[in-house]
Amino acid sequence: MNVIFTAIFFLSLIFITVTAPDKLLTSLLGGAERSLSTALTLFCIYAVWMGLSRLAEKSGLSKGAARALTPLSKKLFKTDNPAAVENLAMNLSCNLLGIGGAATPYAVKAIDELEKDKNDRAQMLLFVINATSIQLIPSTVIALRAGAGSAAAFDIFLPSLICTIFSTAVATLLFLLLYKKRGK
Amino acid sequence: MVFIIPFVFITVFGFAIYKKVKIYDEFSAGVKEAVNFTISLIPCLAAIFMMCELFEISGLADIFTKALSPVFNFLGIPEELTKLVLIKPFSGSGSLAYLTDIIEKYGADSYITRCACVCFGSSETVFYISAVYFAKTPNKKIAMPVCIVLISTFLTTILACLICRIM
Repeated sequence: MNVIFTAIFFLSLIFITVTAPDKLLTSLLGGAERSLSTALTLFCIYAVWMGLSRLAEKSGLSKGAARALTPLSKKLFKTDNPAAVENLAMNLSCNLLGIGGAATPYAVKAIDELEKDKNDRAQMLLFVINATSIQLIPSTVIALRAGAGSAAAFDIFLPSLICTIFSTAVATLLFLLLYKKRGK
Repeated sequence: MVFIIPFVFITVFGFAIYKKVKIYDEFSAGVKEAVNFTISLIPCLAAIFMMCELFEISGLADIFTKALSPVFNFLGIPEELTKLVLIKPFSGSGSLAYLTDIIEKYGADSYITRCACVCFGSSETVFYISAVYFAKTPNKKIAMPVCIVLISTFLTTILACLICRIM
């Protein structure tokens, strides 16, 4: 991330100095402002879902869900840490249900747990699966199209489903293949 | 499908009541975690967003778009989508803005729009997710996983444009 960040930032810096030097500061400030408004939006989502997930945790519900997904998590992520497995399982089930907002806090908690075991591979795999998104219902897009007066806003459902499964499958396979080569 | 979320809430609350969990206390404790969590994200978010804004406003994004259009065309991706495809990994709100543009410009049921919608719906803001997930461990070597995700996202875009021609 350091390399990518530096490269893009620096190139853009040079470029903006040539094209629009007066806009440099406003664009940086604008970015900072957007980060706060995004943080606010995120907080709202997390407040709802982390409150709920705390209830699920305390009532033992998430342990139950975790137990159902444990064999899969263990095999895929190669971890025995029970707290990590629980969070991984919740993350996977949220993704499958199509509640992406709820999946993120679980992923971060799982990464915290995996970090304690220095389990890099599992962290990376979790990232790969989440960053390719298994989204069952592309609700935003459907809402946008319906709003624009589409005759059949739902007709992208099947293509989207195929694509989202395809992307996760390709990424996971690539990941497993590359990591096997590395002898890990 | 609209019942999924209510169903999840009812199940969790119902089960918590059944197990005699102190619901108000625990729910607020969960929100407190959310507060700390959000605050821990802000530094990374700020840095990434500054980068995205700079990339966009400096005009570098446009140059990339122009340079890559022929390649995209060759692969069956309409050039109208180039910008959307390039921005999506960086910024959810930015790409959403482009998507809205496309829908307005080409109409809700055109091939371009459907294509754009499928691409948008089946990909994620990769760099943003990597910033959030690895906010606490910034020194992690995540170049390879990021590349894997970008490659598969790109292949998916090609597939999406193909599928939208048939379906």
